[in-house]
Amino acid sequence: MDRRRFFATAGTAAGTLLHMKKSEAANAKEGKEFVGVLVDTTRCIGCRACEVACSVAWNNFVPDVKNDNALDHRRDTSDKQYTVVNRFKTEKGDVFVKRQCMHCWQAACVAMCLVNAMYKTKEGPVTWNGEKCLGCRFCMVACPFDIPKAEYLSWNPRIMKCHMCYERLQEGKKPACVEACPADALMFGQKRELMEIARHRVYSHPDKYVHQIYGEQEAGGTGWLYLSAVPFDQIGFRTDLGTTPYPEYTKQFLVSVPLVLFGVPALLLGLSELSDRKNEVRESEGWTETGADE
Amino acid sequence: MNTTAIGTSEFNRVASFIWQELKPRGKWLTPFNVISIPIILLGIGILYFRFVYGIGFVTNLNQYYPLGIWIGFDVVTGVALAGGAYVITFVVYVMRMEKYHSIVRVTVLNGLLAYIFYAGALTLDLGRPWHIVNPIIGNSFGYNSVLFLVSWHFLLYMLTMALEFSPVVAEWAQLEKARKFLSGLTLGAVIFGITLSILHQSGLGALFLMAKPKIHPLWYSEFIPVMFVVSSIYAGLSMIIFEGTISHKVFRDLLAGQDHHRYEEIILGLGKGAAITMFVYYFFQALLFIHEERWELITDAWGYWYLLEVIGLVLIPCFMYAYAVRNRNLGILKVAAVLALLGIILNRLNVTVIAYRWYDVDKYYPSWQEIVVTLTVVFTEIWIFRWIVTRMPVFGKRR
Amino acid sequence: MEYYTYVNIFETKGLEYLLLMCFFALFIYLVRYLSGPGKKDSAPRDGSAAGGRMKGAGH
Ligand code: SF4
Ligand code: SF4
Ligand code: SF4
Repeated sequence: MDRRRFFATAGTAAGTLLHMKKSEAANAKEGKEFVGVLVDTTRCIGCRACEVACSVAWNNFVPDVKNDNALDHRRDTSDKQYTVVNRFKTEKGDVFVKRQCMHCWQAACVAMCLVNAMYKTKEGPVTWNGEKCLGCRFCMVACPFDIPKAEYLSWNPRIMKCHMCYERLQEGKKPACVEACPADALMFGQKRELMEIARHRVYSHPDKYVHQIYGEQEAGGTGWLYLSAVPFDQIGFRTDLGTTPYPEYTKQFLVSVPLVLFGVPALLLGLSELSDRKNEVRESEGWTETGADE
Repeated sequence: MNTTAIGTSEFNRVASFIWQELKPRGKWLTPFNVISIPIILLGIGILYFRFVYGIGFVTNLNQYYPLGIWIGFDVVTGVALAGGAYVITFVVYVMRMEKYHSIVRVTVLNGLLAYIFYAGALTLDLGRPWHIVNPIIGNSFGYNSVLFLVSWHFLLYMLTMALEFSPVVAEWAQLEKARKFLSGLTLGAVIFGITLSILHQSGLGALFLMAKPKIHPLWYSEFIPVMFVVSSIYAGLSMIIFEGTISHKVFRDLLAGQDHHRYEEIILGLGKGAAITMFVYYFFQALLFIHEERWELITDAWGYWYLLEVIGLVLIPCFMYAYAVRNRNLGILKVAAVLALLGIILNRLNVTVIAYRWYDVDKYYPSWQEIVVTLTVVFTEIWIFRWIVTRMPVFGKRR
Repeated sequence: MEYYTYVNIFETKGLEYLLLMCFFALFIYLVRYLSGPGKKDSAPRDGSAAGGRMKGAGH
C-alpha cells in the first residue's frame, strides 16, 4: 500500500467515523437516545454534595452535611430527599454509594401506573406528574429498587423520586447532582457512551473493579450505571433482580385480556344456547320442577 | 301536557314511596346494632383525620409497605369473596340450573354491594382520590397498566351487576314496564359480567406480578392470575354458603314459605361445586410446587405457614366438603365453608401483606384505626344489605 | 457477575406429568364419592352444577 492510498483510506475511515458521530449527535439532539449517569463508587469521597445540590435544586429537605453524622447509619431515599449517600464498610475500606431512581429502560413503575403519571420520557428520565397521579402507590409495589416514596403525612401526597433533573436537561444542563460532584464520581451522558467508558475503566484496571457494571442488565437495564471495587451485594444492591425487564412479567396477562374478551362471551353464549335446548327436552320428558320467577 | 302530568304524579308517588321506605323498621337495640353503630361512627371519625392529615396519620403504612389491609383485605380479599355472583349467574343463566334460581338475587345483591363498598375502600386508600376519574374519562390512559384494566373492569362489572339486579329494584318501585325491559337484558349482562369477573379476579393477582423480588417465592409465581380466578370460584361458593346460613337465621321471616329441604339441596349442591373446585385448585398448587421446585423452601417457618394455608385451609376443607355432601351433613358443610374462607383470606393477605417483603425485620401490621375502618366498611355494607332485603323482593317475596 | 452454565428449565416436567396422572385417578374417585349414596331423592337429576357436568362427561 503506498502512502497516498493509505491516507485516502484513512481519510475515508475518518470521514465515516465523523459521519457516524454526526448522525448520532443528530439522534441525540432529537432525543432518540437514552441518557443516564455513570456512578463510579471507587471515586466517591462521601462528601454528599450531590444530596445538597439535589435538595436545593428541587426544594426538598437540605441535609446539614457537616453535623448530622448521617453516614453512620444506612439511609434510604425518602419523601424528603431524592438521593442519599451511604457508607459501607468493606474489605477494601469505606465505600460510598449514592442512591436514587435508576431510570430503568423498561420501568416497572411506568408500566404499573394506570394514568401515565409515571412517565418514561423519550430522553430516558422517568418523571412523575402530580396532575394525573391517583396516589394509589402501586408504583412503589412494582419498583424493584423501592425508589418511589409517598408523602404519607399530607392530605395531598406527592410521589417523590429522582426525575434525573428532567427540567434541567431540557435546558441543556446536566443533573444538579452530577454538576455538584467534586470528585468526578458521577458522569452524565448517553448510556451507550457511558457503557464504553465503564468497560474501559474495568478493563484497564482489572484489579480495581469487580467485572460487572450494575445497571447494564439489571431489571432489563437502567439509565444509571454503577462501578464498584467490591461485589455489589456488599454495598446495598440487590443482585437477585434478574435481567428481565419488569413490565415483561405482566405482558402475558395483558395480551390474554383481549383474548378472553373475544372468546369467553361467545363461549358462554354458546353454552347458554346448548343448555336451553337440553331443558326443552327435559321438560317435554316431564321434568318440570323449576324455581323460575321470571 | 298530559304525559307531563302523568310523569309528575308518578314522580310524586315514587318520592313518597321512597320516603316511606327510608324509615327504619323493626327493633333498634339488636346486638348487631349495638356493636356496629359505635364502630361505624368511630370509623367515620378516623376517616376525617385520614383526609385532613394524610394516610400516614391513621395507618401503619410506610415507604416499604405501600399497601396495607385496606387494599389487601378490603379490596383484594373482598373481591375474591364476592366471586359468588358470577359463579351463580353462570350456573343459573348460562347452564340454566333452575335449582339455584332462588339464590340468584341475594347473591347478586351481595356481590354488587361488596363491589361498591370494596371499590369504595379503594378510594379511601388513594392518596389523591379526586383524580380517580383520570383513568376513566380519557385524559390519561395507561394502556400498559394492569391496574388500568382492573379499574375499568371494576366499573363495568358494577354497572353490569346493577343491571342484573335492576329488575328487583323495578319490582320494588312497582315499575312493571321497566322490570320487563330490564329482565330482557339479563342474559347479556350475565355473560358480560362473567367475562369481566374472570378478568379482574385474575387482574388483582396480576397487579402483583411485578413485585416478584418482594413476594416470598412460595406465594409468587407467574400463575398468580390463574390461581386467583380458580380460588375465587370456591371463595364465592363458600361465601354464599356462609352468608346463606346467617341470612337463614336472621331473615327467617323473609324466607318463610321457602322449603327448608330445598335450601338444603341448594347448599349441598354448592358444597359439591366447592369441593371439586378446591380439589382442582389444590392440584394447581401442587403443580406449582413441583414446577417452581419449592421443596427447598418449606423447611422454615414460612414453609409451615404455606403448608397451613395449602393443606390445612384448602385440602382439608375440600375433604370436609366432600364428606358433608356425601353424608348430607350441614354442620360439617358450614365448618368447611368457614375454613375455606379463612384459607382465601390467608392466601390473599399472604400475597399482598404477610409474605410481601418477608425478609424485612420491621414488618407491617395494621394499626387499630385501619382495623376499625375495615370494620366500618363491612358493617356499613351489612346495614345497606339489610335495608335492601327487608324492602325489596330479594329473597323472592315482598314483605 | 455472569456465569455461563447449563440450566434445564424443564427439569420438573416428568414429575409434573406424574402429578397429573395422580390427579386424574383421584379426581375420578372424588367425583364418584361425591355422587355417592347421599343423593336419595334427587338421583334422576344430575345433582349440582359442577358435579352434574362432570358425571355427564364421564359417561
Ligand atoms: S428505579 Fe423504580 S422508580 Fe426508578 S424507573 Fe426504575 S422502576 Fe421506576
Ligand atoms: S401512585 Fe401515582 S404515579 Fe404511582 S402508580 Fe399510582 S397513579 Fe401512578
Ligand atoms: S438527577 Fe437530579 S433529581 Fe436525580 S438525584 Fe440528581 S439532582 Fe436529584
